[in-house]
Amino acid sequence: MRPYQVGTAAAIILIAAVAMFDSRAAFNPSAGTAPGDVGARWYPFWAAAIMGVAAVVVVYRSLVTPQAAEGVFSGRDSVFAVLKLAIPMLLYATLIGGVGWRTEEFTYTVIPPLGFYIGTAVYMGGFAWWIGRYKIWSVAAILVLFPLVIYAAFELGFRVNLPKSFLYDLGVLPF
Amino acid sequence: MEVFGQLAGGFATALQPINMAMLFIAVVLGLVIGVLPGLGGTSGVAILLPVTVFIAHGSLPGSDATTAIIFLAGIYWGALFGGVITSILFNIPGEPWAVVLLFDGFPLAKRLGRPGLALASSFVSSFLGALVSTILFTFFALPIALKALQFGPAELFAVFVLSFATLIGLGAEAPMKSLAMLALGLLLAAVGFDTITGEQRLNFGFISLLSGISFVPVTIGLFGIGEILASAEEQGIGYVENLSARLGLRDVVQALVELRKRLRLVLSNAVIGFFFGVLPGHGATAASFLGYGLARQYSKNKENFGKGEISGIMGPQAAADSAGVASLVPMITLGIPGSPTSAVIMAGLFVWGLQPGPVLFIQHPDFVWGLIASIYLGHLLTFILCLLAVPLLAMIMRVPYAIITPFIVVISIIGSYSLNNSMLDVFITVVFGVIGYWLRKMKYPLAPLVVALVLGDSTERELRKALIAGHGSPLYFFNSGLSTALMLTALVLVLIPLFRTLRARRAATVAGVSAPKPAP
Repeated sequence: MRPYQVGTAAAIILIAAVAMFDSRAAFNPSAGTAPGDVGARWYPFWAAAIMGVAAVVVVYRSLVTPQAAEGVFSGRDSVFAVLKLAIPMLLYATLIGGVGWRTEEFTYTVIPPLGFYIGTAVYMGGFAWWIGRYKIWSVAAILVLFPLVIYAAFELGFRVNLPKSFLYDLGVLPF
Repeated sequence: MEVFGQLAGGFATALQPINMAMLFIAVVLGLVIGVLPGLGGTSGVAILLPVTVFIAHGSLPGSDATTAIIFLAGIYWGALFGGVITSILFNIPGEPWAVVLLFDGFPLAKRLGRPGLALASSFVSSFLGALVSTILFTFFALPIALKALQFGPAELFAVFVLSFATLIGLGAEAPMKSLAMLALGLLLAAVGFDTITGEQRLNFGFISLLSGISFVPVTIGLFGIGEILASAEEQGIGYVENLSARLGLRDVVQALVELRKRLRLVLSNAVIGFFFGVLPGHGATAASFLGYGLARQYSKNKENFGKGEISGIMGPQAAADSAGVASLVPMITLGIPGSPTSAVIMAGLFVWGLQPGPVLFIQHPDFVWGLIASIYLGHLLTFILCLLAVPLLAMIMRVPYAIITPFIVVISIIGSYSLNNSMLDVFITVVFGVIGYWLRKMKYPLAPLVVALVLGDSTERELRKALIAGHGSPLYFFNSGLSTALMLTALVLVLIPLFRTLRARRAATVAGVSAPKPAP
């Protein structure tokens, strides 16, 4: 457990250091600051400093106090259970918006945006097929029904405009 | 009495068809959220918060901000009741505040074969606890708010400091971890523009960060995604007990008889739960454990605890529900959330264009009294639904993991995107989901992070207004008796963990000296 505790606190110290560096003008308030005011950088500087000092104490305490001998996960299965959920979730969030970058002259698209509805169909259907081991007709029902119900509830009911796919932009699909 | 007139007006607002319809939907959603082990009350409220924007802005006929708060709070009431069903029937807590019901609720249901009595005991005590708390809320809210109207920046800053000190001094986790999370929340709240000078800060050149880090996607990530990752690790919906979920009239009558025998316990736990819930960061979960401890401490049948003792169900439930209601008191009256869930509800107020705090009572009395009246109605509705629909709610536990888990992720993504139509918010949700999961594993408390993120801007504003008023002198914070008292109380609270450590060390040293040395 100790290396994980130290590593987590070290990450917090790093964030604090970056924030303190960004707010290094804390002691030199910009022109126009009201008399008595401490300026825009003072507050984030000291919030970061407090965070850093607290994390240093956490590091110290985790080094000097006895820690549980077992690891942070109860076994390989529990790591896989989390990864099985986390990785498809990250892919899902990425696929909705697509992958690409933009320069001044051109937009490069590696994966076109699938939009919310196609992304959800792929994600929920894929999860049912991979984790649930459902038969193909059940998977088909899930990947059609869920996006439809969400469309009816959010897009029509609450008028929430969810992200659309590249096929919508091309005028091929209504979502 | 002015309060009764205001409350009558509140009931007139809350009883409007649109408000009652949304309250009913919210309570049902809350019960479902409460039953699902991968989804907590806080995350449920956070995920559905963006929907309330559309409710508050009149997407539904006749709906307004009062409808939105009734809806959001209704989810919380449902979740407060619903979490216990799975603890009692399946030995799986649906909510953190229902963990304590594993001690006596499940044994009464399984070993003693009385699941109906266990459920009915929980529901009647929850209802009574919430009722007592709501009555106290009704009579305490206005005087607190009127007093708070006289606060200047020094007093307001002192109140914020006190609420942060409570999170550090009385928190269950290591105080330094609480402090680190608190400071992280303040830091995240500072990203974007400085509200006083308009200067950019902590955006590292990213234009998308200029508007700051929105509270909602962070909370959905920390609580919604973080919780389902944690439940995936525990293989959440794996082994499920299969007890009868029927609840008959006989069970309810017997529960009422048992309640009568324990009326003093339930009422006193409800009052204690109320005052405990008012303290920032101490919502229903901490109160439930306190309530269990008190029930056991003052019971004549201590040996029955852990074996299905009804006081072990009624005591914690009365305290938990009472604290849940009470956590809204500081949010409404002072603009300080009493629990992570009330922090999310408070974020809702900001999003709907309202300023939580004492001014609400003056500018939007319909809103405040409509909310208070809806707490009475919401708990009555939840109580009736629980008595009637337990078998249906228990069936939710049988929805397969491969469907319910990705569905929660999908709803979380909708929630985070729809507030600002921003894919950046979606990524913030996912990233904070992973961060929240990890912080939970490392035993960093999330409540200080969330509360500080919500209060960060106001804290900085009041601090700097006070410094400007005091020409830069920190002594300005000690100008009034109230702010001095609040600051000193905060100092004492922060020092509590230090005193505890010193006392434990001293006890260990004394024990080490007096203990006989082991034989060589």
